[in-house]
Amino acid sequence: MKNRLKLLRVERNWTQEQLGQALGVSRQAVNALETEKHDPSLDLAYRIAALFARPVEEVFENPHG
Amino acid sequence: MLSLSKQNTPAGRRYVIRTMAFMGGYVAVMLATIGGAFDAIQGKPAAWALALVVSAPIAGQIWATLSFMRDSDEFVRAVTAKQFIVSAGVAMTLFSAWGFGESFAGAPHAEGWLIYPLFWAIFGCVAPMIRSSN
Repeated sequence: MKNRLKLLRVERNWTQEQLGQALGVSRQAVNALETEKHDPSLDLAYRIAALFARPVEEVFENPHG
Repeated sequence: MLSLSKQNTPAGRRYVIRTMAFMGGYVAVMLATIGGAFDAIQGKPAAWALALVVSAPIAGQIWATLSFMRDSDEFVRAVTAKQFIVSAGVAMTLFSAWGFGESFAGAPHAEGWLIYPLFWAIFGCVAPMIRSSN
């Protein structure tokens, strides 16, 4: 799923490890999200959006709309 | 089987410890069996107890893997499940093909317990190639 996760992370000078800790997931999970090798669950997508204080649609591209 | 633990997380570390414990037990009993430590009971009903003892670490290893998945994040959980399903599918296909080869083509007999090391050998080859949950 296309997303702006890497952009948002780099804007804050966070490493994948730091973002993973903030989200409660592994660095591998962050990397997989950024490289579109994992589509997040609804729960994780909302957690990411809340962390960056953005609507989910601004972080993840809606593939159906 | 240790390829699952590449991530340095508490769940990964627990998995490594449990794997080493269960596989250590498995190898120890197998070596003792091969070395003749249990020759006296072979062919007797007590040998079934030995068969169950040798096999018990396999159940333990599956438990360790399920615990690892439960304690990991959704990406690791999904990838691990995918790696297991592909490895189990390939192992069952190959072993079934060999079994039919025994039945139809006179292939040499392969002991049933070989399915377990075969599964992990395949897992070791397959796991590095499965890095996506999609």
